[in-house]
Amino acid sequence: MLTALRTTDVFCDPGADHSSRAPAQVGDGVISTVLLVGLGMIAGGGVIGAGRRSMTAGLAVQAIGAGLLGLAGFWVLLSGGMIGQPFGSGLTPRFGVDGLSGVFLGALGLVAAPALVFSQRYLHPGRSGRAITALTAVFLLVLALVLCARDPFTFLLGWEAMTLLPAAVILVHRNGDDPARRTVFTYLAITHLGGVGTWVAVLLLAHAGAFGAAVTPGAGTATGTGTAIGTGTAIGTGSGLQLAIALAALFGMGTKAGVMPLHVWLPRAHPIAPAPVSALMSGVMIKVAIYGLVRVLVDWLGVLPVWFGVLVLALGALSAVGGVVYALFQHELKRLLALHSIENIGIILLGLAACLILRAEGAAGWAAFALGAALLHTVNHAVFKALLFLGAGAFERATGSLHLDRLGGLLRQMPWTGSAFLIGAMAIAGLPPLNGFASEWVTLQALLRLPGYGNVLDGVAGAVALAALAATAGLALTCFVKVVGLVLLGPPRARDAEHGPVREAAAPMVAGMAFLAGVCVLLGVAPGLLFGALTRLAPWLQAAPAASSSGASAVVAIGLHLPGTGGLPTAGIAVALVAAVAALSLARGRRTAAPAPTWACGQQVDARLNWTSAGFTKPLRLVLEVVLRPKRRITVRTVGGVTQDVTYRGHVPQLIDEQIYRPMAARSIAVAARARRLQTGSLGTYVAYLIGLVVLLLGAARIGVIR
Amino acid sequence: MNLSISLSPTGWQLLAAGLQLIGGLLLAPLLPGTIQHWKGRLQGRRGPSPIQPYRELRRLWGKSAVSIEGTTAVYRLAPVVAAAALGTAVLLVPITARAPGWGVGHDALALAGLLALARFAVAASCWDVANGFALMGASRDLTISVFVEATMVLAIGVAALATGSTDLGVMIAGTAGAGAWSDPMLALGGVAFAIVVIAETGRQPIDNPDTHLELTMIHEGPLLEYAGRDLAYLQWAMAARHWVVLVLAAQVFLPHPSSVQGQLVLLPFALLLLCGLLALTETTVAKMRVLRVPRLLAGGALVALLGITVGLTRLA
Repeated sequence: MLTALRTTDVFCDPGADHSSRAPAQVGDGVISTVLLVGLGMIAGGGVIGAGRRSMTAGLAVQAIGAGLLGLAGFWVLLSGGMIGQPFGSGLTPRFGVDGLSGVFLGALGLVAAPALVFSQRYLHPGRSGRAITALTAVFLLVLALVLCARDPFTFLLGWEAMTLLPAAVILVHRNGDDPARRTVFTYLAITHLGGVGTWVAVLLLAHAGAFGAAVTPGAGTATGTGTAIGTGTAIGTGSGLQLAIALAALFGMGTKAGVMPLHVWLPRAHPIAPAPVSALMSGVMIKVAIYGLVRVLVDWLGVLPVWFGVLVLALGALSAVGGVVYALFQHELKRLLALHSIENIGIILLGLAACLILRAEGAAGWAAFALGAALLHTVNHAVFKALLFLGAGAFERATGSLHLDRLGGLLRQMPWTGSAFLIGAMAIAGLPPLNGFASEWVTLQALLRLPGYGNVLDGVAGAVALAALAATAGLALTCFVKVVGLVLLGPPRARDAEHGPVREAAAPMVAGMAFLAGVCVLLGVAPGLLFGALTRLAPWLQAAPAASSSGASAVVAIGLHLPGTGGLPTAGIAVALVAAVAALSLARGRRTAAPAPTWACGQQVDARLNWTSAGFTKPLRLVLEVVLRPKRRITVRTVGGVTQDVTYRGHVPQLIDEQIYRPMAARSIAVAARARRLQTGSLGTYVAYLIGLVVLLLGAARIGVIR
Repeated sequence: MNLSISLSPTGWQLLAAGLQLIGGLLLAPLLPGTIQHWKGRLQGRRGPSPIQPYRELRRLWGKSAVSIEGTTAVYRLAPVVAAAALGTAVLLVPITARAPGWGVGHDALALAGLLALARFAVAASCWDVANGFALMGASRDLTISVFVEATMVLAIGVAALATGSTDLGVMIAGTAGAGAWSDPMLALGGVAFAIVVIAETGRQPIDNPDTHLELTMIHEGPLLEYAGRDLAYLQWAMAARHWVVLVLAAQVFLPHPSSVQGQLVLLPFALLLLCGLLALTETTVAKMRVLRVPRLLAGGALVALLGITVGLTRLA
């Protein structure tokens, strides 16, 4: 009975044709042309946009270019082929696009095109606006460069430029003010420290000649655990080199992706960028880091040991729960959204970890589904997070504030922006029938398979991760009920007096957000459009043609029908929900009594009775007190024994910042201060150092340490 | 992949599908009614009649809804969306191992999403009316729901590990008969699911459905600003929530026969038994402090985790 979860991993109809997976010959030229035209238009748009009068036109050209890029990406993914050159470890620059690059290029286009349309009215056509337009174009080209790079050198070049450009945008946007400079310093410091990991991983791979080690059918059969599948790389399974590369990549690319505890730069840097660039950073840039991780861990390194998968699982669970818990206690909208990016990166890592573990356990089919889950959530998160960031930008423009307790009532004042934002919030909260639900459902299913295949320990780890993901979904729901309530609903709260009346966002801004909201619905109703192609990206399915039809046969429809589940006919659920809502609305009729104020025990309802962000999350703060250690200070001012006023201040400190990074920074500054004493500036001391060094070297040569 | 397609729908299965629809949509209010009736008896009162919920629904259906100043479509749509989500959940939960689908699948984890949708709609409406009591209830409900979801998914995980699928039909078939009870994992999952049932139905010791004191409300608080048909929808949704979780508890976590006929015949008795147990708990156990509830639910999650561990050790 207990083995049943294993036996569900069936792969029927081995006779299904694999012709779709062969490199698509027809249309290669067309795709390449579309891709190159897209890149050219982005570059051209950047140049045009830098002009004095032509920022809007430049952004429009860029948007079309980004759209073409996305189109080409999804085209490559769905056709199952590849264009351009394959990977190589040499020094000559090589460029190409395969299915995995295609997913991320597609997400790039899906996010960038509406964000650029949005920018047409969001950016002021002044100097900084034009500079940002030009920088955005370069940023997009650099992101595409990382995705299309086929040699280690170009990859690293793009990777570094990808880190630097947002820093430039932030500084231009904020006019180089003090907090911005400090944030940019933290951002660059941490991502560069982390970047070391990427360099080490990529250079080791290149050194071993395994940068893009193509998985050739039959090249490497199962080794290691005996059940493991599809190792086709030059690096031995379980070898020290493989583990070193895997750990370095996890560290380096994990930092860039914002994985806890390497995330500290993310909630600082994302909120202060202009909204469309925040959307690109959260929607695409950190996804490119995920691209790197998938490339190295899934595509190139072959089968990793189970404990490495469990490590990724732990980091994913930590990021998911930690990200959403800290997001809950934020009172600034963009910072809250940035912390949610950490949560979603965690969910993506959970899927990726499930893939790694299942692959090591020999469950080929479910490992591919887990990979599909991670990639589907990557695309979904890019879409809804971009939508939410754009919405936040629109609200900031309209009200002059992003403080949650100063917004409110915006659904009535900005119905279009508000509705699109509501859809994005429901999608990120993982509610059916939107896209977040579909990918979280597959991720949950993949985690549920871990107890079925693994041994006791990683089975239990999988079950804990399952509970963590479920709790994350609950926490995200709570958080976005709060956001929707405070931003969109209820009475308008304390607004800046000098800010004018709130108006609906301009048409291009609304168009950008409406497009993204539409994609949220589309991918929620028909996730199968992408999911099948995403599971087919698993290299072990390409290596072993017998099992390769699994993805195709299991995911034929637009819904998700996986073996061993009840299936998720997303379209059916959506139709049932919409039909029921329509029928019940009709049955209810329109009869209502005269409007009445909210009931508050007979009191007059006034602004002091409004609930705040802190108030709504108080029960959770109390429940999680032991872990979070919130700080609060209450000051009571009494005059002559009569209390005049009571002030309350409370905040939830970021424990990882306070407990790990702050002591570390303090210690390194202390060490640096001590080291500076060596540098006295007097010539005599330096000569003494030299003599000491020579003596030391001679002594070392004498005892034979140096030859 | 889809169970309902691969099997030829026999008469029993059609009957099961019909009864699922009738039971979930029409008979669901009998469940809270029975619990209230028996609770009254156990407390030495005569108690309301089991059909009291129907009388309330009829009364509410005749009354006009209220409209709150300054609200948006979110307030108007919340009862409808909550009822629609629960209606879809009723379609999704089969009452026997073999039942034709209603086009929404039979997946246990999809059920969690639908329950969350209803919760979101109701909690968002509290912000729309900006009623302090409603928000207090909603914030407590959401706090508890974090732990409910984790516990529920783990309990589903136990059943999935035991039966090899998250398909509810396969789960009902796999846990049927005496063989499934030969090891303690299903029992441990059942303990965890029992706590989920109490939380989802809003019963003591987690919530008190009879309270009239706003400060202690959890599930009742968000309903304060609704009247008429809106309130009728919300009350029906609560009854449907009883139906969905109690049917799951009866057909997965209680012993049941493996034949479809047997399952159909025994289901009413199992539901009555569960209603009796809930009435008994409500009578004997006092309501907990709200902040204690997550600890109870976390305990449930640990029990389910223990169940999975037990199952895995047997497997290894």
